[in-house]
Amino acid sequence: MEFEEYASARGQELVRLGFTVSGDYQRAEDLAQIALMQAFRSWRKVQRADDPHTYVRRILINSYLSMTRRRSFTEAPAAELDPDRTVPDPATDIVNSDDLWRALATLSARERVVLVLRYYQDLDDRTIADLLGIKPSSVRATASRALATLRRTRQSHRVDERLP
Amino acid sequence: MSKTELEEDLRETFERAAASVPPAPDLTARATTGAKQAQRRTWIASGGAAAAVALVAAIGFSLSGGGPAASPEPAASAAPATSAGAVAAVTTPQMLSGTWRPVRLDGFATLKTARPDDPTLTFAPDGTWTGSDGCNAISGTFSIGQRGEFSSQANGQRLIECQNVPHTGVLAVAKRVDSTQTTLRFYAADGREVATYARAR
Repeated sequence: MEFEEYASARGQELVRLGFTVSGDYQRAEDLAQIALMQAFRSWRKVQRADDPHTYVRRILINSYLSMTRRRSFTEAPAAELDPDRTVPDPATDIVNSDDLWRALATLSARERVVLVLRYYQDLDDRTIADLLGIKPSSVRATASRALATLRRTRQSHRVDERLP
Repeated sequence: MSKTELEEDLRETFERAAASVPPAPDLTARATTGAKQAQRRTWIASGGAAAAVALVAAIGFSLSGGGPAASPEPAASAAPATSAGAVAAVTTPQMLSGTWRPVRLDGFATLKTARPDDPTLTFAPDGTWTGSDGCNAISGTFSIGQRGEFSSQANGQRLIECQNVPHTGVLAVAKRVDSTQTTLRFYAADGREVATYARAR
């Protein structure tokens, strides 16, 4: 498979993966572009991998995790626009209406990545471990901790809703 | 809530979030162009490094009493490499003085879009800057430390939205600056280059 063929077939999937891990459309596009750029530069090596898509997903996930480790993670040049004049994206409303989506934002980057790979990408723990360069037992422990956090967060939200 | 129910909810949430992602146009072209540009930068950097090594070797050879290198000819041939790689050791407000146009802003892909005004920045030696983001006049103050530390404060203003070039965002994030006669670069706290400007003619 040639690079152009792969990128046009899987590019949008990479943006979606980027969005599920980062929760930010702009960052999702950046992540997909970084992953594709790196894949393009070493495409022969990517082609030789057992599963080229897993290889590119690994680049994307590792780029995201390194991005979150930088001190300037939250800093990005942006115009200081008048908030009254900005037009809300309807898609953002759909996503923001979900309390579970909001609860996911409270997890660490690695916890969220593990959940995305497990429940969105449907990867088994061994593949996730291989992708992240950690042991399968660490994947299980991270997932278990993340699920416990989400369960607690949702329960506390439900209690809050009952309060006057 | 059972674990299975939560896991099921997670699957649905991720699917819904993924489905809300708008199509990203030209991903393939952007990736290949970006990779080629990065490769070109690497070659230029390697070429610059090779030229610098050659220059140091030539100087070392001439200082050690080597014959032909002591003549003016090698020094003349080495001169362009020095000026090409020359970056001012310390950037001062005077060196920033003048008008600059954006060449690259980190994470901002629509610099070439047509806008009502030229999106330039003008720095004055008195520590003030003015400019346009393409549709609004913007201004503020800045200071530069002895080692190129940079800080800036934008004056408050209401902005009309028009794919504004985020000069104010760049200046707010920039923590260090360096410049040559023709190029101005801003860096974030982690050393990442956030913007490059060229002197406007």
